[in-house]
Amino acid sequence: MLKVTDSLSRRLANWARVRSPWISVFNTGSCNACDIEVIACLMPRFDVERFGILAKGSPRHADILIVTGPVTRKQESRLRRIWEQMPEPKYVIAMGACGASGGVFQGLYHVVDGGVESVIPVDVFVAGCPPRPDEIINAVVACLGLMKEDLARGGKEWRRKPGEAPREPAEVPA
Amino acid sequence: MPQVILPIGPQHPALKEPVNFKVIVDGETIVGLELDVSYTHRGIEKAAEQRDFIRVVPLLERVCGICSHAHGTAFVMGIEEVMQLEIPPRAQYIRTIVAELERMHSHILWLGVAAHVVGFNTLFMWTWRDRETTQDLLEEMTGNRMNYGINEVGGVRRDLTPGQITSALSRLPKLEEQIAKYVDMVMNQETMLLRFRGIGKLSKAEALKYGTVGPTARASGVDYDIRRDDPYIAYSEIPWKVVTDTSGDVFGRTLVRIGELQESLGIIRYCLEHLPEGQIGVPAPKVAPVAEILSRYEAPRGELVHFIRTNNTDRVERIDIRTPTLANWTSVTVSLVNQNIADIPVIVAAIDPCLSCTSRITILSERGRKTAEMTWDQLSEYGRKSSRERDRC
Amino acid sequence: MSGPLELEQVKSALERFGTVEQVRSNRIKVKTVPDKVREALFRAQALLACDHLIQISAMDNGLSFELIYHLTGPHRTVLAIAIELPRERPEMPTTSDILPPAGIYERQIYDLFGIVFTGHPNLKRIILSEDWPEGEYPMRKDWKPKPRTKPGSVGEEVK
Repeated sequence: MLKVTDSLSRRLANWARVRSPWISVFNTGSCNACDIEVIACLMPRFDVERFGILAKGSPRHADILIVTGPVTRKQESRLRRIWEQMPEPKYVIAMGACGASGGVFQGLYHVVDGGVESVIPVDVFVAGCPPRPDEIINAVVACLGLMKEDLARGGKEWRRKPGEAPREPAEVPA
Repeated sequence: MPQVILPIGPQHPALKEPVNFKVIVDGETIVGLELDVSYTHRGIEKAAEQRDFIRVVPLLERVCGICSHAHGTAFVMGIEEVMQLEIPPRAQYIRTIVAELERMHSHILWLGVAAHVVGFNTLFMWTWRDRETTQDLLEEMTGNRMNYGINEVGGVRRDLTPGQITSALSRLPKLEEQIAKYVDMVMNQETMLLRFRGIGKLSKAEALKYGTVGPTARASGVDYDIRRDDPYIAYSEIPWKVVTDTSGDVFGRTLVRIGELQESLGIIRYCLEHLPEGQIGVPAPKVAPVAEILSRYEAPRGELVHFIRTNNTDRVERIDIRTPTLANWTSVTVSLVNQNIADIPVIVAAIDPCLSCTSRITILSERGRKTAEMTWDQLSEYGRKSSRERDRC
Repeated sequence: MSGPLELEQVKSALERFGTVEQVRSNRIKVKTVPDKVREALFRAQALLACDHLIQISAMDNGLSFELIYHLTGPHRTVLAIAIELPRERPEMPTTSDILPPAGIYERQIYDLFGIVFTGHPNLKRIILSEDWPEGEYPMRKDWKPKPRTKPGSVGEEVK
């Protein structure tokens, strides 16, 4: 079957996306340590811009959303809305122990159980409290690997675990 | 002209914690402000009642990632006082070193953010590059770049080796040199002066009336620093002085913070050179007697207060945390009135609020007819543009 | 900067409101009743120069609510004015007109404990989420968290 990916403009867009992903950071109730480490990534020591990674303020421009922190009750609906605003194909990195499971904040009354994945689908988890900037860069690179793999396989479906809800396609149908 | 409500936040890239405040404007002039700080409320105070003293320290360190040592130390100091523990001086000195390194990293970070807000990105990059030195020192001493986890009830968990001390001392002169450059930049660069001078004025009387703390108060001439007024850990043994300024505007707050950077560097150097020998901790009992304690700590942003009540168990009965940002909010509402919308980013950034990233600002009229959306970036850009225009005329 | 507050000074100014005790060096505690708080704060401000409100600590001790107003001034002594409120009717006159910073602390206590400060100009929700059920105050000792459903059902509680 001939896929939409084969058109020249598609190929160009995909090439550009993998070479220069734009990221957006959303704080869902973290202690700021993760946010500061993300900003440190953009700074001269780590300088992710040399890899073409660019931080954007708006999720509407972003390919990758980095979510920091446990999801508080108030941020839950806002996180969903921000994720819905992102254009396809979208990828999510859950940062730190809190992003994975709620971390030290697990079970608090104003925190949603189960970390970021209980609200939106997550592609890459980064360990640490907070993760070091090099680990964040590594996670973004791992996410790019997933992006390439998804393009080759025509969607995110292959990563679906048994019993999981269907994922969105990697490509918006033309 | 109808009054317009301008909601800012909950997210914006210049600051570090989500907060939403509705600014009521008349034309370009601000007439009022209302805030909503609930976005990162997690319920830590309740959770702290259910964990023992060993497990509660890591939780409290994560109240805030920037001043994590402040929260940890304020809590263990309170519990140690209740248990009547005599903490070895070496542990107190190590706590002081980490506390001052934390203050330095926080103030450098603030200076960078403030420079970014006024469009002076060179200084933003410089400061964050130099901040990596303090992060390296913290990592070497405590094992983590953030959320250091060095405190426990009874002392500290890691000792400093002679090698670490020499290596830390050898890196301080470079940092000192860079801080001297910041002083020069802030005092002489037109870019900074134009946007900082006379903005967000808070007189001494107002600063006292609205209960401001930390550099915001000290920039208005209020000589108030817990490190001197209610000395804790090792501050009573170290020569240093409180930095104050009388201008009361954003420029003054910048000068106070840079002055404190220099003082902190002196404190760190003194502590490293005069580090006492001995133990780094004493065994602490499991339970604390019935008592009530108000533990005060000068965090980078101002006075941090932990009110702790213990009840003869291994848990606290109640811990009430008053953060410096909350104390300073009342004054922001005052210093914003009669200012221009364009100066919101500068004034809000000037109290160094613990706020957060990626923002959306919506401008809508009170009657709901006009609606425009602005990101924090656009607002900062608007601020830069209109200050350029002000210059021209 | 003047010297620290003496116990005798505080006693002469605030003895009439309740018991005064020295907790430790530069910490003095005064126990009083809710109706007299405003007057006590006013006198502390006028006679003892306690013009800086550090914090209003609220507590639930199971039987009643406790509020402690921590004040300080140029003398740097912390003066604590403590009161107890009945659980059945937690009401308290506001102090935000005497001490402006109290406004924000009172809103916080109202949100977490449900203590009503009568006369407060803007007693609205500040800390909790907007979908938080009315009449549930998480910091009360008898409050227990309820399990919640997973995504998609924002704000719904499970039985």
